[in-house]
Amino acid sequence: MELEFTDEQLELRDNVRDVLEGQCPRSLVRAVYEGEADADARVQALWTQITELYWQGVAVPEELGGLGLTFVELAIVAEELGRATAPGPFLATVTQFAPLVLAVGSADAQQRLVAPVAAGERTGTVAFAEGDRWELSAVRTTATRTPDGWVLSGAKTTVLDGTTADDVAVIARDAASGAIGVFVVPGTAVKATARTVVDPTFVVTDLTLDGVVVPDSAVLAAPGTPDVEEQIERAWQEATVAVALSTIGACRKIFEDTLQYAKDRVQYDKPIGSFQAIKHRLANMYLSLERATALSYYAALTIAEDDPRRAEAAALAKAAAGDCQRLLATDGLQLHGGIGYTWEHDLHFWLKRAKTGEYLLGTATTHRAHLAQLLGLTPASETKEVAA
Amino acid sequence: MKLSFSPEVEAFREEFLAWLADNRPSQEEMDADPALSSAHSPAWARAWTKRMFDAGWLVPGWPPERGGRNAGAVETLVYMEELTRAGVPRTTNPQGLGIIAPSILDYGTPEQIEQYAMPLLLGERTACLGMSEPGAGSDLAALSTRAVRDGDHFVVNGQKVWTSGANYAEFCFLFCRTDPDAPKHKGISILLVDMDTPGITVRPLPEIVDPEHPDLNEVFLDDVIVPAENLVGVENNGWIMANGSLAHERSMVWLDSVMRLEYQLETLVEQTPALIAGLPPMEQGVALDQVMSVYTDVMAARCLGYRGFAKYVKGAAAPEQALMKAFASETHQRMGLVASEIQGGHAIDMLGGIGIESDTSWLEVYFHSFASTISAGSSEIQRNIISEKVLGLPRS
Repeated sequence: MELEFTDEQLELRDNVRDVLEGQCPRSLVRAVYEGEADADARVQALWTQITELYWQGVAVPEELGGLGLTFVELAIVAEELGRATAPGPFLATVTQFAPLVLAVGSADAQQRLVAPVAAGERTGTVAFAEGDRWELSAVRTTATRTPDGWVLSGAKTTVLDGTTADDVAVIARDAASGAIGVFVVPGTAVKATARTVVDPTFVVTDLTLDGVVVPDSAVLAAPGTPDVEEQIERAWQEATVAVALSTIGACRKIFEDTLQYAKDRVQYDKPIGSFQAIKHRLANMYLSLERATALSYYAALTIAEDDPRRAEAAALAKAAAGDCQRLLATDGLQLHGGIGYTWEHDLHFWLKRAKTGEYLLGTATTHRAHLAQLLGLTPASETKEVAA
Repeated sequence: MKLSFSPEVEAFREEFLAWLADNRPSQEEMDADPALSSAHSPAWARAWTKRMFDAGWLVPGWPPERGGRNAGAVETLVYMEELTRAGVPRTTNPQGLGIIAPSILDYGTPEQIEQYAMPLLLGERTACLGMSEPGAGSDLAALSTRAVRDGDHFVVNGQKVWTSGANYAEFCFLFCRTDPDAPKHKGISILLVDMDTPGITVRPLPEIVDPEHPDLNEVFLDDVIVPAENLVGVENNGWIMANGSLAHERSMVWLDSVMRLEYQLETLVEQTPALIAGLPPMEQGVALDQVMSVYTDVMAARCLGYRGFAKYVKGAAAPEQALMKAFASETHQRMGLVASEIQGGHAIDMLGGIGIESDTSWLEVYFHSFASTISAGSSEIQRNIISEKVLGLPRS
């Protein structure tokens, strides 16, 4: 097992980091937090810049206009975007919508829906969770067969970019058979409410589907399609690892800033980083960060190589990212002392990014429970849930 | 990044596996005459070391005349994986093979190599490492065992402690103070001392687990006469050998502890359904969460180890390697705790048995884990090393 980046992957990482330092400065993040008049325009300009660099097409097959690289490269970009707390449609469009269409859609649907994503022309998202459970067993939204097509009714929670995405892939259950299907509706067809959330670099919405009619041509996978549940799970493993790495990216920034602060801040005539009470906490933070990073890139690699361990590895990655943010946010803020507690200091942007990542796509506890299921350890009396 | 090794490396693995199948000591042979300490070599172990040396499998990265085959780092890693997986110890004198022989080969005279290093590699002798003292534990360079030059010999007086295998070792790689006036790192020398020299008294220090088979010892040195030609390297320059080990194998010292963790995790996962079966649902949930947390740690240890190793092979800095000792040993401790806690009342049963892990209880696994979190640089020292050497924080 060779778990280190290739030179090309390291080059990609450095390149993405450099671009984001220039194009997604702290001032942009602050503009979003403070609702400045030009914030939306600046976020849009950042996305335009990203699409010109083709990061949205990194893992899209070449025949659909992408670069045809692997999920490891996509994971690298996701981590760097987290490290910059970059706002924009990347996570929803590139790590959720496109993988789902590629997993369950026909060649025609892929051409119609993913090629425009790769070209940077359209955005998308996936409406999955209900009651904040990203699990197929939690899906209650119904799809009812009518002469005009399918009619979707239900409520989805915590959907990224639900108010802004061009296309929304909705996971719903056949009202008659109970089988799972995937339907694509225009963003304008759903009632989306943007929530006011702690990290405004994420657009977090709740959706209501109130009898939305979906013509047959917009059915991505009709209920009853063989293996559709398994394919959704596979796509969702990509989404899960991407959120894990976005969270880890924010944690890495917290770590770097806290380490620098411990070297610079002098009390009792010494840098506070010379005190063992501080040093050992920083060593623990570093360990937690590397633990989560190693597991997450292992997971990315199992996806890239389509290894059978990918489901387990994705759960491990999200669980470890959760442990990581728990420690890094707590100790990062504590070690910064009073200055980190102020609105004027930028630390809270990363703290909030890291915390938000924990609550998207299942917490560490949820993913440990899922891991126990995958290992066959859950008591037999419980029905097997198909989890995210 | 790749999940698998190259075909060449896999061919190397096959070659070793074929040889291992024909030449390994049998389980019956090993069980009938187990090694009683880390410097005790039963007859089968001596023969096994010699067979590995002759076939070039003892230290694959070395040339044939030193028991190797000039293998690369990745091949050596694969060799260690298979040896551990087969349940065959590479040696029953790990410090002799891993630290003492390489140091003598690097710094010793031709006579020392012939009389001390090669016999370790040929399975003819065993050795212990005389480092820690009552007043020099984490602060090893504070050691005070004194060696005074007197013509053609040294006279040694002092005391060592935590000396693994001293109760069976045939000689000691002894750290002594030869210049009490120099700064503490600059007045230390190494002597090769035959353990049957008059004036040496060894007192075993039984451990809290398995007290019938002590491995740690106190070693008292009372006017011990050591020939001057037994000085290794340059007088007062012994500290450079304090971190000595097989240089190319230093990048994979984590492998053994990670594979042991995986083996024990497999046992825990197998036992878990039965262990939690009688618990109320709420306790089942808590137990599973804790077991999965340990599972995550073990998988992370594996990934960190391989990630650091891949960086080392590329010639890049590998900070993961500084994390492995504390992380693996603390994971071991958590596993013992978590597993014994879900075991309930039977966790306190004494199951005994020689050796360390397989036959003992989870509570004993927990106690035994302290051998790793305390020795060879405690977890606290590891955190100092990480924060100073990797993170660049100032010394306190």
